[in-house]
Amino acid sequence: MPEISLHNLVKAYGKSAKPAVDGVNLTVADGEFMCLLGPSGCGKTTILRMIAGIEHASGGTIAIDGRPVDCVERGQFVPPEKRHVGLVFQNYALWPHMTVARNVDFGLRLQHVDASEREARCRDVMTKLRIIDYADRYPSQLSGGQQQRVALARMLAVNPGVLLLDEPLSNLDAALRLEMRAELRRLHETFGTTIVFVSHDQWEAMTLADTIAVMEGGHLQQVGTPDEIYARPANRFVAEFIGNPRINMIPSRDRKGQETDTASLGLKLTERLPRDVPIDVCGIRPEDIRLCETPADGALPFTVESIMPTGGSWVIELAHGEDRLFHSTQSRPRVRPKDQIGCLLPDEALHLFDGSGRRMSIPGYGMSAAA
Amino acid sequence: MAMVPSANLLAPPNVWRRMRHRLAVVRHEPALLIVAILTLFFLYLIVGPVLSILGDAFVVQSGDSARLHQDEGSLTAYYLARVFASKMSSILIWTPLVHTLSIAVATVTLALTLGVTLAWLINRTDVFGRRWFATALVVPFMLPTWTFALAWTTIFKNGTVGGQPGWLQAMGFATPDWLAYGYLPTVFILTLHYTPLVFLIVGNALRRLDVQMEECARILGAGTRTITFSIVLPLVRPALLSAALLIFADCIGEFAVPYLLGLPINYDTLSTGLYRALSSRQNGVAAVLAVAIMTMGVITLLIDIRMMREARRFVTVGGRGAMERRQPLGSMRHLAASLPVLCVLIGVVLPLLTLFLSTVMILPGRFTPDNFTLAYWIGSDLHTIAMRNGILVAPDFWIAAWNTVRIVGIASVISGCLGLLVGYGVLRSPVSLLGNILRQITFLPYLVPGIAFAAAFLSLFAVARGPIPALYGTPFILMLALIAENMPFASRAGIAAMTQLGREPEDAARVAGAGFLTRMRRIIIPIQAAPLATAILLPFISGIKGVSLFVILAVPATDVLTTYSLRLLDYNYDQAANAVVLMIALVAWLGTVLIQRISGAGLSRGLES
Ligand SMILES: Nc1ncnc2c1ncn2[C@@H]1O[C@H](COP(=O)(O)OP(=O)(O)O)[C@@H](O)[C@H]1O
Ligand SMILES: [Mg+2]
Repeated sequence: MPEISLHNLVKAYGKSAKPAVDGVNLTVADGEFMCLLGPSGCGKTTILRMIAGIEHASGGTIAIDGRPVDCVERGQFVPPEKRHVGLVFQNYALWPHMTVARNVDFGLRLQHVDASEREARCRDVMTKLRIIDYADRYPSQLSGGQQQRVALARMLAVNPGVLLLDEPLSNLDAALRLEMRAELRRLHETFGTTIVFVSHDQWEAMTLADTIAVMEGGHLQQVGTPDEIYARPANRFVAEFIGNPRINMIPSRDRKGQETDTASLGLKLTERLPRDVPIDVCGIRPEDIRLCETPADGALPFTVESIMPTGGSWVIELAHGEDRLFHSTQSRPRVRPKDQIGCLLPDEALHLFDGSGRRMSIPGYGMSAAA
Repeated sequence: MAMVPSANLLAPPNVWRRMRHRLAVVRHEPALLIVAILTLFFLYLIVGPVLSILGDAFVVQSGDSARLHQDEGSLTAYYLARVFASKMSSILIWTPLVHTLSIAVATVTLALTLGVTLAWLINRTDVFGRRWFATALVVPFMLPTWTFALAWTTIFKNGTVGGQPGWLQAMGFATPDWLAYGYLPTVFILTLHYTPLVFLIVGNALRRLDVQMEECARILGAGTRTITFSIVLPLVRPALLSAALLIFADCIGEFAVPYLLGLPINYDTLSTGLYRALSSRQNGVAAVLAVAIMTMGVITLLIDIRMMREARRFVTVGGRGAMERRQPLGSMRHLAASLPVLCVLIGVVLPLLTLFLSTVMILPGRFTPDNFTLAYWIGSDLHTIAMRNGILVAPDFWIAAWNTVRIVGIASVISGCLGLLVGYGVLRSPVSLLGNILRQITFLPYLVPGIAFAAAFLSLFAVARGPIPALYGTPFILMLALIAENMPFASRAGIAAMTQLGREPEDAARVAGAGFLTRMRRIIIPIQAAPLATAILLPFISGIKGVSLFVILAVPATDVLTTYSLRLLDYNYDQAANAVVLMIALVAWLGTVLIQRISGAGLSRGLES
């Protein structure tokens, strides 16, 4: 199974516009299950389309299995029909004039696989994806989930070494999402295919992928396992993008770059931090905040503002002067709005970021529970 | 990593590398090649003739060199001066121009008045039989204009020209020339023909209008009159303007009706004037006239485009699934239906019935049983010398019919396919500038009335130029002219179809490993089968009805049904001529119905585009 590597990949639509993909370096290892995660418009689809070859790079190199398939420097370009990658489009792009069976066996026909084997392989894939009953229907007669499975079957039938999926779960309802998610994992285990999928949804990425590549504004922000990305976000963007509810950010300076006023949470926190490093913001995950009913040693005084049940867990909004923090807990909270309460913000749970938003590695800090 | 700087040092300049990469990409993208070839082809086929006739207007034409004391082919302002500033000017251009404009203005005014009234009756009131009228009222637009002209002469023709008299004349009522020929019947017929267009366009606009806007005004206390004039009319004004300009442009180019009803009394319009100039071999004058007609067409349509751009500001008002709400007419319901009934009677029943009766009557206007015969359809041994058999058993008819199907059919198939290719190229071209150029070129014939375009074609293809032999007298010139003439519609249909399809089905096939030809054959063409069929049939119908291209470019060897019927008319074989015309009308109508079936689209939408 091939590996995919992107080297300084750039894509600019039009001359003046800001590049949709800007200098991305990324290697997807053989047999890896990777997710490109990022807000919508950050260039994920564009990368996928360039890997498939239906879009060409404006700069940099794409290599599949060590062979450059799109290299601006060397003037090489392999068209999509010769790349042998599978791409499942976000809105499926099934051929409306062909039945499900014909959609699935199209690729095999192109490879001149003989009829009996073709038949067998199609049946196999369609059975695995549970669309065999709809083999004679046209795409317009299928539900969204069924259409998606046809789109997947169409690519799997030719058994491509690389499978690219554009937002595979986002058009499905909750029940189908779970089902499809299990399906994709199972497929990855059985076929061992290298899979790259695109998502804007962290749940999707976290639960599905071995590795996550977080993107924003055409730039790659961080690559790592779901745990790594959650526990040691490389910068402010990743820290804030991943995690629900969002990480609490406590600025140690106000907007003018001055130390914030004396009453603020930021200052109180900063006092505890090493003096000699230019810390701009501290982040703490909602679940890392510890509540104590009686002001314990080092705890800061807070007021409970509101309590929001979120189905099995609770989010508590806490106020300290002008500052607001969110705390989340799995156990039914015993506090009530307006209660005065103490909060512990343990050093090891604090993620520190410098002025440019980059993570600062300082021993003793930023090693939250998950790490 | 150590290798990277050295690789950069060795690499040629950035621009060059980019070019090379671009080439590698484009090599696998046949769209660019397609666009390039099509652009060249249509430059030759569409822009070529227009430039050629433009040149003819300023260059000494063959046969004129002795009179002008100038070599053939040298520059001259003689033709321009002759047309615009000589003692012939009045005959050559000013009178025809006045005629053309007065016909166009009167037709537009009448068609708008009648069409809007009908559109309001059918779409906004509970007038009796409205569903049925919605279809029946459109039929006159499907019939060729000269069907009406022939029906008119069948009834009103007088002794001014020879041949069989009209029914009224035969019954002893002498019809004056102003009733039988010229301005009045021309305007009347064109109004009949174009009213359905207004009815369709304005009807659609009315249907898209959100009734809630009117209801809102009513709640605020507005009366019906206020609502009509300050809400409804302003909102359908873009549709009205568009219909008006479309009809105006069509009237300027209209040839068949003034040819049949104007020539007998020397009532010239610009298009018949151009025809006269061509048939009397005054090519230079003809060129000037053709350029004048083109200029008028271009100006009209530029105004249209301008206005549409402004109108787009409030085009989006359409309420989705707007409730239908009709004004109840009460006891007037049935009385009000008399207007559409009258329109259907005069616009459909009367002309077709007249034409049909004329083909089964030996002497015009005599309604006695012994005067009726089917001989002109299926008889043999007729007393007409050059036409011994009824048309359905006459070999000439079938030859002309076959020619029509062959020439118009091939041209339509080609233009339909080219249209789809244009759509493909325009949307897929990696160089969007080239795609835009192609789009504009294929749209150009829309600005040029048919008769002027035919003249332009003649000017380019009448003689051998370079490797292209003289095409005049061959079916090819007709086919090429038809293709060029059809391109505005065909390419728009192709672009629309490809836009709707989007890239993804094709991209999916590419990823699955399909090369260009496979993609075309297995994905694009099958998916686009229905639009393609429409894009072939519609030009076929308009080709079958068309007169102006054939009257100038066809020769007896390439006789088609239209020229065949005109020739029969020249021989005064009115029965046979009318029978042929009825057959043409039948084919045109059947074709339209077929399109409706295939595309599943409302007739109105099909015709409006
Ligand atoms: N064909 C295109 N032409 C111009 N801009 C495009 C095109 N496709 C995408 N873009 C732009 O590139 C950026 C990234 O798009 P995309 O890769 O689709 O984002 P994502 O999939 O992450 O939501 C967006 O800003 C988008 O507007
Ligand atoms: Mg996307």
